[in-house]
Amino acid sequence: MTATPTASRRKFNLGAALLTLLTLICAAIWFFPIYWAMVTSLRTDDEAVSAGFALWPANPTLSSFIYVIENSNIGRWYLNSTITSVLITFLTVFMAACCGYAISQLRFPGRTALWWTILASFMVPVQALIVNHYVIMAHVDLLNNYIGIILPMLLSPVTVIVYKQFFDGLPREYREAALMDGATEFQLLFRVFIPMNWGVTAALSIITFIGAWNAFLWPFLAVSTEEMMTVTVGISQVQDAYGVAYARVLAGAVMAGLPVALAYLLFQRRVTQAITLSAGIKG
Amino acid sequence: MMKKLLGAAGLMALLAASAAQAKETVVWWDFLGGGDGARMKTLLEEFNAEHADSIEIQATTLDWGVPFYTKVQTSAAVGEGPDVMTYHASRIPLAVSQGSLSEITPDDMAVMGLTPETFAAETFEAVKVDGKQYAVPFDTHPIVLYYNKDKLEAAGLLGADGLPSGLNGVENFSAAMTKLQEGGTKWGMAITTADGGFAFRTIYSYLCQQNGSIGSDGAWLVDDNAAKLANSVKVIADWVANGQAPGYTEYPAAVALFTSGESAFMINGVWEVPTMVDLEKNGKLFNWGAIELPVMFDKPCTYADSHSFAIPNNAGKPATPEKHAAVLEVIKWMSEHSLFWASAGHIPANKAVTELPEYKAMQPQATYATLTANQVFDPKSVFAGVASPLFDAAGNAFTAAMNGEVSPEDAVAEMKASLDALQ
Amino acid sequence: MNNARNQTFVAAVLVAPFVAIYGWMFLWPTVQMIQLSLTDAPLIGDGNYIGLENYDRLIHDKTFGKAIWNTAYFVLLTVVPGTAAALGIALMVSRLKGWLQSLILSAFFLPFVLPVTVVYLLWQWMFDIQFGIMQAILEPLYGQTVNVWRNLPFFMPMIALLTIWWTNGFSILLFLAGLRNIPKELYEAASLDGATRWQKFARITWPLLWPITVLCLTIQLILQLKIFDQVYLFASGGRTQSTMVLVQYIFEQAFVKNDGGYAAAIAVALFVIVVAFSVFQYQILRIRGPK
Repeated sequence: MTATPTASRRKFNLGAALLTLLTLICAAIWFFPIYWAMVTSLRTDDEAVSAGFALWPANPTLSSFIYVIENSNIGRWYLNSTITSVLITFLTVFMAACCGYAISQLRFPGRTALWWTILASFMVPVQALIVNHYVIMAHVDLLNNYIGIILPMLLSPVTVIVYKQFFDGLPREYREAALMDGATEFQLLFRVFIPMNWGVTAALSIITFIGAWNAFLWPFLAVSTEEMMTVTVGISQVQDAYGVAYARVLAGAVMAGLPVALAYLLFQRRVTQAITLSAGIKG
Repeated sequence: MMKKLLGAAGLMALLAASAAQAKETVVWWDFLGGGDGARMKTLLEEFNAEHADSIEIQATTLDWGVPFYTKVQTSAAVGEGPDVMTYHASRIPLAVSQGSLSEITPDDMAVMGLTPETFAAETFEAVKVDGKQYAVPFDTHPIVLYYNKDKLEAAGLLGADGLPSGLNGVENFSAAMTKLQEGGTKWGMAITTADGGFAFRTIYSYLCQQNGSIGSDGAWLVDDNAAKLANSVKVIADWVANGQAPGYTEYPAAVALFTSGESAFMINGVWEVPTMVDLEKNGKLFNWGAIELPVMFDKPCTYADSHSFAIPNNAGKPATPEKHAAVLEVIKWMSEHSLFWASAGHIPANKAVTELPEYKAMQPQATYATLTANQVFDPKSVFAGVASPLFDAAGNAFTAAMNGEVSPEDAVAEMKASLDALQ
Repeated sequence: MNNARNQTFVAAVLVAPFVAIYGWMFLWPTVQMIQLSLTDAPLIGDGNYIGLENYDRLIHDKTFGKAIWNTAYFVLLTVVPGTAAALGIALMVSRLKGWLQSLILSAFFLPFVLPVTVVYLLWQWMFDIQFGIMQAILEPLYGQTVNVWRNLPFFMPMIALLTIWWTNGFSILLFLAGLRNIPKELYEAASLDGATRWQKFARITWPLLWPITVLCLTIQLILQLKIFDQVYLFASGGRTQSTMVLVQYIFEQAFVKNDGGYAAAIAVALFVIVVAFSVFQYQILRIRGPK
C-alpha cells in the first residue's frame, strides 16, 4: 500500500522527463530552418556549398551581409518597408479605434447595419480584388507609390471588431462620469478609453505592423521599380548579377526577417494577446 | 536683405533646374543574371562614366523570363515602365499585340547612325512586325554544346583539329557519353531538365534538324511534325532514362555539374561562356570548349534568339524629346560597344563588329560563330517567344516527358492540345 | 434631442475614415470586379460587354479545374494535419513552466512572424538539390536526390508542410489560451478518481478544447483557400500550369496574360467559394451554440 504511490510517482517522472525531451527535440527541429539560414549566412560562399552538416561555420564572417548591404538596395527597401508599415499600422489602428468606439458607445442611424457589414466582410477574400485594386490605383495614378501600396492594405475589419468588443466590455460609468464633467466624445475616446488600456492598442499595432511588413502579394503587384520595393518583395525579385551565391541570398533573408523577429521576441506577450483577441478568445 | 535672400534662392533654384535639365536619367531594366550580367554591369558603369555630365543610367536587373515580362507589360500599361529595356526578339510579336512597345522609327535609326544593313537580315527581320521596327538588335544568342576537353581527350573523343569528333547522330552521341561515364565521369550531359520551357530551345533545335516545324497560329504541329517533335523530346528523355543526364535539374545546378567536372557535356546558351572564362582565369576550371550542337538528325540546326533594346510604350506618359534622345544615345553606345558584349559569349548583331579581327580571335566564340548559318528563330507568332503561351505549353509538357512521367508522344499531344486551345 | 443629433454627427465623423476606405477599397472594387467579369477587357483599358461568356469559358477551362483541384488538395493537406500538429505542440508546451516555456514557444512561433519570401529562401536552401541539407534525408529514402519543387508528387505536400511550419504558431497560441482556460480543479478531481493521463485528455481536455478546435479549423480553411504566395514563389520558373492554385490563376490571367475580364470571372468564382465556406463555418459555429 505504501510502495505503490512511490513507484507510480517514479514512473510518472520518467514519463514527464521523456515528454519534455520530446518537446525539446520537436522545438529544435522546428527552429532548425531558421538556425540553418543564420549559420549559412555567416559562412563564405565557398563554405556554404561545402560545409555539409557542420553546425557552426569554420570562420564566421559578416562578409555576405556587407556584400548585400553594399550591392543591393536593401537600405532603401528597409526605408520603404518602414514607411509603409508604420503608416499602415497607425492609420489602420486609428480608424478602427474611432469606428469601433462609435459602434460600441454611440447610438446613430445605420449602426446595426454597419456592424453587420463589417462582420460579414471578415470572411471576404481580399485577394480576389487584386485585379480591381490595380485598376483603381492605375486610374488615380497611385501605382509604384507609397499611397498606392498602403491604401488597399488599410482594409482590416478584424481590428474594428476587436476594438468594438473591447469597448463593449468597459464599464459604462466611466463614460457617464466623463460626460458629466463636460468631456466631448473625442476627448473621451483619446483621453480616457484608449489610454485606459494601451495594451489592446499596443497588441493590435504590433500584429498589424508584422502583417504589413510581411505583405507580399499587393506590394509585389503595386511596385514596379527596384527603389520602391519593400524588403519582403525585394529579396525575392531582384537577382544577384553574379550568379547563385547562397550565403548572400540567406544573408538577405536574415536581414529581411530580423525586424519582425525582434519585434516578436521583444513584445512576445503582446503578440500572444493580439492573436487571442483577434480570434475572440479571452486570453 | 530680404531681396538679396530671395535673389539667392531664385538663383539656386535656377541652378538646380539647369543641372537637372543637363543630366538626363534613363531608367533601364534588364534580365541579365548570369555571367553576362556582370559584363553588362561593366558596360553600364562605363557608359555612366563617359556620360558623367549628360546621361545617367539607373539599372535594375529583374528575374529572367515570366516575372520580367509580367512586370514590363503591366508597368507599361500604367505608364510606369522603364525608359529602355532588354527584350527577346522572339517575344516582339506578342509584345506588339499587347501594345507594350514603342516603334523605333527610321528617323530614330538615322539619329543612332544605324541602318537595317547594320544587322544580319534574319536578325533584323526578327524585330519587325508588319513592316515596323520595334527594337534594335544587340546580339544573337544561340545554344551551344560545352565540353570538358580533358575528359574528351582521355576518352579519345577529340579529333586531329583538337575539336570533339564522332558526336553526330543520336546513337553516336549516346555512345560517347557512355564511354565518358565508363571513364569515371558521373554524368554525360548536364541540361536543364527541371524546366521544359528552357529545354524547349534544345528540343526545338532537334525538331529543326529533322526539317520539322512547330507551325503557327491555328495550325500547330500538323502532319508528321508532332512525331518529329516527339523524336526530339525522346532524345533528352532517353538521356535521363539511361542515367546519362540527371533528371529534374535546375539551370544553376546544370551549370554547377559541368563546371565541377561531374558532367562532361552541357547544352546551354552562349551566355555561360563568361562563367567558364572567369573560372578558368582563377585557375578553377579544366580545359574546355564550346561548339555548335552536334547533328542528331538530318541537318545542322541550332535555336537562337536575339537580345534587343526596346522602348516601352508607357501609356499616358510619352518620353520628352530630351529623354528620347538620351535613350537613343544609350542604344547607340551599346551597339557600338558590342565587341565587349561578345566577350559575354553572345554573337554581336552589329555585322561590322563580327568582322573585327579582335572578334575573330575570341575563343570559343569564333568556333561556334559559324553556326549562324544554321540557326533557327522562334516562329514569328503572337503566341511564341520567351514567356509566351508556347513557352508555357512547352514548360509543362516537356518537363514531365524529359523526366519520364509521361511518354514523349503524350507530352506532344498535350502541348498540341493546349496550343490548339489558344485563340 | 439635441444630444442625439450631436451623437449622430460625432459618430459620422468617427466612422467616416473607415467607411471611406471600406467603400473605396472593398465595395467599389467588388462591384467593379463583377462588371469586369462580363467584359473582354484587358487589365488596363476598356472592353466590350460579352455577357456570361467568361463564365462559360471558365466551366470548360481545364487549368481552372486544375486550380480548383490543387487548391482543394492543399486545403486537405494543411487544415486538419496543421490543426492536429498545433494541438499536439500546444499540449507539449503547456506542460512546461516559466522561461523554458517561453523559449520553447518562441521556437515554435517564430516562423509565423517571418515574411513569406524569407520562408521561401529558407526552404529553398534546405531542399536545394545539390547542397540542401535535407537531401541527406531524402536520398536514402527515395534512392536519389529529389528536386521537390519540380517533381509533381512532392510539390503540394512540400508546400503544405512548409505552410504548416510557417503559419502554425497562430493555432498553437489559440490552443494554449484554451488550455489555460480549463480549470485545474477538473484535473485534480479526475486524478482523485484515478483517471489515467489518456482518460483526462479524452474526457476533459478534448471536449473543452473542441470549440477552439473548430475555430482553428475554420480560420485555417478560409486562410488556406486563399493560398498564393508560397505556390507562386516556389513554382516560378517551373511547372506553373500543373501546380496552379486559384488566386495564382487570377494573377496569371490578369497580369501575365493581360486578360482582365477573364481574371475577374475567376475572382468572382473564388469569392463565391470562400463566402460559401464562410457561411458553412457560421452554421457550424451556430450549432456549437451561443457562448
